[in-house]
Amino acid sequence: MKTDKKPKILAIASPGGHWIQLNKICNPMENEFEVIYVTPGAQYVSAQTGKTVFNISDASATSKHMLIPLTLQLLWIFARVRPAAIVSTGAAPGVIAFLLAKFLPIKTIWVDSIANVSILSRSARMIKKHADLIMTQWQTLSDDKQVIYKGSIL
Amino acid sequence: MIFVAVGTQFPFDRLVKLMDEWAAEHDEKVIAQISDGKYLPQHIEWHRFLDGAQYNKNIQDAAVFVSHAGMGNIISAREQGTPIIVMNRQYKLGEHRNDHQADGLKWMAKLDGVYTASTQQELFDHLGQIDKLQPADPENRAGNPELTAYIANYIKTGKR
Repeated sequence: MKTDKKPKILAIASPGGHWIQLNKICNPMENEFEVIYVTPGAQYVSAQTGKTVFNISDASATSKHMLIPLTLQLLWIFARVRPAAIVSTGAAPGVIAFLLAKFLPIKTIWVDSIANVSILSRSARMIKKHADLIMTQWQTLSDDKQVIYKGSIL
Repeated sequence: MIFVAVGTQFPFDRLVKLMDEWAAEHDEKVIAQISDGKYLPQHIEWHRFLDGAQYNKNIQDAAVFVSHAGMGNIISAREQGTPIIVMNRQYKLGEHRNDHQADGLKWMAKLDGVYTASTQQELFDHLGQIDKLQPADPENRAGNPELTAYIANYIKTGKR
């Protein structure tokens, strides 16, 4: 019997504030999409029933040597999941995922953290040319073309 | 009970030490998550890290949540219906990569359920009137259907 398959989304963020904001944005999408979560902090995620969470290596501006394992892990997840889109709130894992997805038929949507009030995050500026859509949570940072404002999660 | 948490990315010994000093003078149970901090509190129950379930339970059980000025903790506190006092990390003291938490304090102070402190005095003033601190209104705790719908529609149709 053929079942209606929902499109798949990878929701990627580092632990802490990025992760919590990602969940606020993506949890409500689970009706329409199969949302697969990816984070270096999977061990901190309490058993969230029905959620698929992949663990990845932590990479940040201060741990560049982790970029190679992180890249391989993300490519493996891309191959296994074949997502239609990636949503990320940051930081480094999202940047790497967007750069890799650029060469694949995967839409990339960056939602900059609400903590970035006066300027887009360093990560967002890094992927600005590569992302399909960038959302800010502050109206003053929107240009209504590439950087879109549709409210904040607070 | 007062729950104190400084995030998992960096230590924030200054806040942990202030809370330890406060706890020494007050008859109130204090539990802290101190990350990789070097300062080990004497008067409060401390943990380096807590798993998500215990962490959220502590926020829920606390009369007030005292935190670094991180978004995650603000969102969690609002959701759990616990008032939160946030103190900003300072770049010049080596507490973060930049001063975005100091900038953040200005707009965080406008959120209901959120109290800000940039000094010991401000922190202790808030703690001196715990009974008066209010949690966020359940109506505006977190999430934004318009933002989520915009992203979902873009993924499905490619239209902005």
